[in-house]
Amino acid sequence: MAESKIAVHSLPDLKNTSDDALAPYLTSLGFRQSHKNTDVRLALGYSAVVIAAVTFYYDYTLGWEPTKHWTAWAVAAYFVLNGVFTYWIWIVEKGVVYQGVDESGGRLTLASRTNKHDPTYHLTATYAPPLSARSQEIKASAPFSRFFHADGYLAQQPFRQWLASSVPFIGAADPNNVVEEIGRGSGGGGSGPGGIKMQSVRMGDMADVLEGLKKSGSSSGSKSGAGKARRRG
Amino acid sequence: MFGLQPRQLAAQVLNFALVLSTAFMLWKGLSVATDSPSPIVVVLSGSMEPAFQRGDLLFLWNRGMDTQIGEVVVYNVRGKDIPIVHRVVRRFGGGVKPLQLLTKGDNNAADDTELYARGQDFLDRQRDVIGSVKAYIPFVGYVTILLSEYPWLKTVMLGLMGLTVVLQRE
Repeated sequence: MAESKIAVHSLPDLKNTSDDALAPYLTSLGFRQSHKNTDVRLALGYSAVVIAAVTFYYDYTLGWEPTKHWTAWAVAAYFVLNGVFTYWIWIVEKGVVYQGVDESGGRLTLASRTNKHDPTYHLTATYAPPLSARSQEIKASAPFSRFFHADGYLAQQPFRQWLASSVPFIGAADPNNVVEEIGRGSGGGGSGPGGIKMQSVRMGDMADVLEGLKKSGSSSGSKSGAGKARRRG
Repeated sequence: MFGLQPRQLAAQVLNFALVLSTAFMLWKGLSVATDSPSPIVVVLSGSMEPAFQRGDLLFLWNRGMDTQIGEVVVYNVRGKDIPIVHRVVRRFGGGVKPLQLLTKGDNNAADDTELYARGQDFLDRQRDVIGSVKAYIPFVGYVTILLSEYPWLKTVMLGLMGLTVVLQRE
């Protein structure tokens, strides 16, 4: 998998890199990615482009007068397709960046989002178990600094640990990456809808502790840290 | 952008293609609405001063076929593909007979008979005129004059446009 360096202050770069890292990870866990949404979007977009290209060709070779009735229809068709394309992106896909089926046949959908000027990755995971009409939804979010090195590389291990720990549907397929809570003496149950939130807060502390350990650790600078993470990934 | 998944690459190329095709289809849509092959033109010469200056952007309408004296029309000389913006000073025919027009630049001493194709004394409204001026924006068309006088600017601009769209994913 190609690892690329990004500008860590660019929110789109952070989001796109994180989005792109989802599919390889889930594939390695036995999920089968479904490209249906993307294929429909590409088909809509390219049909519109083909209509425009054909219009351009005939306009260029035959001129305006003989083609103008066809051009009127082509313009209408183009903007209808373009409208459906926009509808597809905003209403149907709505930020969905991954769709796949796990080994048991359950369907997992991941949608991601960032808010303006806030370097936090918001992930909404929807899981429809096999033979069940009801799907479950989990929302998780984490600051990008949890899984990006300061030098602009995505650290696969923390990213996967975060996913496996905060999204149980992924954690079930990758128990090794589910990081246990380290108790800090704060009570409170881990069940119910509030439990997830609690857990994700503790996960944040956890990352801080790890960060602190790494800094106090003998000699490993960020460079070698990145190397380690990449080798594991 | 290299080493992308085929679908990601296809999506990036699509973004670029959509920018170009939308611009083209908007232009064609405007053509259909105004019934003119070239609904927006830029004034290239000073022959209509002080009404229009070089670089003014003109919006044309080609659905009113009964052009009156005093209207400013844009026509193409037969055999040449340069649109000319001049004012109608005489009209002949109309109604059952095809409408014929004589034009003159406000800033020119003589009418346009000299400019028309050899053997042609009048413009045919239906055939030669591509629209009459309905609105204009001063000066903003100057960019296209620069682009046509320095053609390499076109290449530079298109290249820059392509690069930004392909390399960015925002």
